Amino acid sequence: MERVKKITKDNFYELVERLLANYQVIAPVNKDGRVFYEYISNSKEVDMEYKGHTLLPPKKFFFPEKEVLFTYEKLNGDIIIYDKVQEIKEGRRVFLGIRPCDIMALKSLDKVLISEFKDPYYQARRENTIIIGLTCNEPTKYCFCAFTKTGPSINEGYDLLLTDLGHSYIVSIGSEKGLTLVKLNLDLFEEPSEEELKERDEILKTVEKEILKQELPDLTNIYEAMLRNFNAEIWKEYGEKCLACGKCNYTCPTCRCFDIFDDPNLDFKSGKRVRVWDSCHFLSFTKVTSGEIFRKERPSRVKQRIYHKYCYSIYDEGSISCVGCGRCIDVCPAKIDIREVARKVVSL
Amino acid sequence: MKNPYIPKLAIIRRIKDETPNTRTFRLSFKDPDLQRNFKFSPGQFIELTVFNYGEAPFSISSSPLEREYLETTIRVAGTVTKALFSLKENDVIGIRGPFGNSWPMGKLKGEDVLIIAGGIGLAPLRPVIKQILSDRDSYGEVILLYGARTPKDLLYKEELKEWEKQIDVHLIVDVGDETWKGRTGVVTALFDEISVDPKSTYSLQCGPPIMMHFVTKKLVELGFSGDRIVFSLERLMKCGMGFCGHCMISGRYVCRDGPVFNYSQISNFLEVAL
Repeated sequence: MERVKKITKDNFYELVERLLANYQVIAPVNKDGRVFYEYISNSKEVDMEYKGHTLLPPKKFFFPEKEVLFTYEKLNGDIIIYDKVQEIKEGRRVFLGIRPCDIMALKSLDKVLISEFKDPYYQARRENTIIIGLTCNEPTKYCFCAFTKTGPSINEGYDLLLTDLGHSYIVSIGSEKGLTLVKLNLDLFEEPSEEELKERDEILKTVEKEILKQELPDLTNIYEAMLRNFNAEIWKEYGEKCLACGKCNYTCPTCRCFDIFDDPNLDFKSGKRVRVWDSCHFLSFTKVTSGEIFRKERPSRVKQRIYHKYCYSIYDEGSISCVGCGRCIDVCPAKIDIREVARKVVSL
Repeated sequence: MKNPYIPKLAIIRRIKDETPNTRTFRLSFKDPDLQRNFKFSPGQFIELTVFNYGEAPFSISSSPLEREYLETTIRVAGTVTKALFSLKENDVIGIRGPFGNSWPMGKLKGEDVLIIAGGIGLAPLRPVIKQILSDRDSYGEVILLYGARTPKDLLYKEELKEWEKQIDVHLIVDVGDETWKGRTGVVTALFDEISVDPKSTYSLQCGPPIMMHFVTKKLVELGFSGDRIVFSLERLMKCGMGFCGHCMISGRYVCRDGPVFNYSQISNFLEVAL
């Protein structure tokens, strides 16, 4: 049975203040009309009323756009390496107001980065972060999470999940960590009534209905159509439209490709190994030193991202790796809409 | 939790010139325990660090039975290899790995083996040859077809002569010189010198994609089944663990699921692998 509580908005802001005393807190913050996930120092900075998704996904808090993996120093013919993972392990964070689609995106990243091999930087950040999600009361025109089965309601991936009832939040408890947090602040929580729980379910159902008004196939199951259409003409059209700018990759909550390089200090005796986000849309992405480029033509690179999301991930991770947040549609300068691509693929 | 991104320090024990632009580096870990415990299978690769310049993947070219050191044969081409070529014996580098799968060594026992290599592509096959030679009687007929750009570009020149005593070696170069008595042309031309039974032969190949494309075509014509046409693929590989995404072909990571694939596998890929 669902473990559930209620918290008034006033008490919620008190909870945020208490969290700030013990944790680094990441929360949605409104900056000039656009909302970003940011570190906050005061509960007043939090914008819990925002609509749809933040401009940028949450991944940078777990997998930063530029990260030092280790530093090194040459000493008397020897080399000393300083691992950066320990510093991350010492952190304690709460991620507040994160959307269900973005929570499911983290689950998707987990399947890759904490699998046969473990990415210790990502894993340490996942383990040191409590997830307090916030469901949507209203979708944007870009949202399609109901078609990727990653929202508007979810039942995994969070420690606590809030739904806004106007005066207060219904709080679904998703883990022992979440339960402990509630117990430690029990004075702030109340028991929700049956009506309030029903109201929560109604809100989520209404959002889902709103999203489902779009005509879209079940995106968790377009694998066969993708296989069938790998050489279809539409990829040429999208290849011509695409500017290969990589914005879709950078704003995608599940894109995680990266490059690694050394950044020496000026003394050339020490330096750091750095990783930075990369993009499968870039020509350099598949270039090997001999000069060979394996995805030279733009259609092949447009395909790579979309096939990874809806086809290859099923093979490799067991489920698609698109969560329907709609950010790539929002930011694409060529107005490529991944929903339109999916519709076309299925119709062929 | 051990961090797979941290290279282990190793010392360059010996540098051997193979061709005007290729050298074999003999390496051993600084920590003797690490060296003792380092195991790999033929076909696997390492990520080699030259500090300040970065990291690049190289296949291991020494025998897996050699426990005192490992070797990697490298052609100078990019930033990391240029820096590596400026290093001297006793200098310190970093190693991560071994990564990737390996040649199907278990399946080769009792079978004939046809090895086809182009240029630097012989490097990841050298451990196979060395392992076969260490236990020659366990294998049937073993043939090496090896092509290089010029006679100077042939790797392991002295070893080729040794190998000839125990396996059937055929060489060819694109362009000969005054010393060259052998054939000129592409490696597929050597097929007219050999006869193989596709039912009892495993073919292993590594070379430029264009070479593997035509060799594979030839092997299919000869009646080889897909699982007996085996090759090692080259892609950009930054992490070695299926994370960084560069080496992906149709949802498979060359670094983690490869680099060794057979023709049946790549025939099912959506993208063209060769």
